[in-house]
Amino acid sequence: MIFVSLLIIAGGIFFFFAGAVGVIRFPDFYSRLHPAGMIDSMGLLLSMSGLALYVLSHHGLTGTNILTAIKIILIVIFVYLTSPTATHAIVDAGIRAGLAPWTKKKNGGSDDPSH
Amino acid sequence: MKFLAMIAVVLTGGLLIFHTGAFPDFGDANSPANTYLSPYYLENGQADTHAPNVVTSVLADYRGYDTMFETTVVFAAGLACFFLLRRKQKPGDTPRMYRHLPTGVTLHIKEGGTLPAEDSAVFRRLDSEFVPHQIIIKNTCRIVIPFIQIFALYVVAHGHYSPGGGFQGGVLLAASFILYAISHDLRRAIRRFPEKVAALFGSMGVLIYAGTGVLCLLFGANFLNYEALAPLLGVSPVMARSHGILIVEIGVAFAVMAVIIWIYYNLSSAGKHDEGL
Repeated sequence: MIFVSLLIIAGGIFFFFAGAVGVIRFPDFYSRLHPAGMIDSMGLLLSMSGLALYVLSHHGLTGTNILTAIKIILIVIFVYLTSPTATHAIVDAGIRAGLAPWTKKKNGGSDDPSH
Repeated sequence: MKFLAMIAVVLTGGLLIFHTGAFPDFGDANSPANTYLSPYYLENGQADTHAPNVVTSVLADYRGYDTMFETTVVFAAGLACFFLLRRKQKPGDTPRMYRHLPTGVTLHIKEGGTLPAEDSAVFRRLDSEFVPHQIIIKNTCRIVIPFIQIFALYVVAHGHYSPGGGFQGGVLLAASFILYAISHDLRRAIRRFPEKVAALFGSMGVLIYAGTGVLCLLFGANFLNYEALAPLLGVSPVMARSHGILIVEIGVAFAVMAVIIWIYYNLSSAGKHDEGL
């Protein structure tokens, strides 16, 4: 059971890593928000549920441990509610402020080395 | 006059800088604070105040004066923002936007124009920087705000046992109101939590804190020595100190919440309380 939870946590860390790389590497504001949102949703879901599973499997099914697991799940629920909303609001503000999304056409169809 | 003030400032600053040399070094293990004061707090905090969180017992009990004037400083900051920024204005002083709901036409009313009634069912007031109806954000905030407020109350009440207390809980409560003001609009937030209520709550918080101290005086003990409240609360002196901390934290939470909301109202609308962010 510990291996299962470790595997899930490792999956979460993979998403965190991919998200961090994406925030740095993607070309513009909107596309960078995508990995940023992914960190909050997928990375947090996997790592937190892995931790909840670890608490329950390694420390036993007692009342306090179940409470801890429920608290961890609550964190995931609240982040799931708020993080996509925040991403939505940020994108909306960007569009409203007149920031045009990045397209390849702008650079004549070739990769711009400055990005 | 300016010259005299300059001399006073330079003199005070010079004196302060001159005497910093007499302070013990930063982190000096042999300084007076580290030889008897901190060990006393750590060893006797739990037995004296029945609060496992030493930070809370030091903050609200041993050094209650300090925290009381911190709360007063927070309140003074709110007042300062109010006096500097607040501008009273009559409706019609600035151009306003209204939407005629049956037809969907947006009206721009210039200064001095006739405004529709405040509670008109036909015209709805719009912010001049028009923001369309954001159903996702509004509904998420509607779901999240009650949980933020419950968590804030938990942080205030659980300050004895876990990180937290009046300042943190008050900030969380204020954040829930500011979230409401951002997700809906400033006028609606002001209708729910008017400016007068903010001023009243702010002064009430400081009054709860100082009043607890005065009550201790009336019972024949030192200012803010909560042990004196034991007969009033009907508990042992140690538990009275614990309860005293809680009462004081509630006062702090009131003051911090009201003042932060008040400052937000004034800053976000440039003191006009008309159109927010």
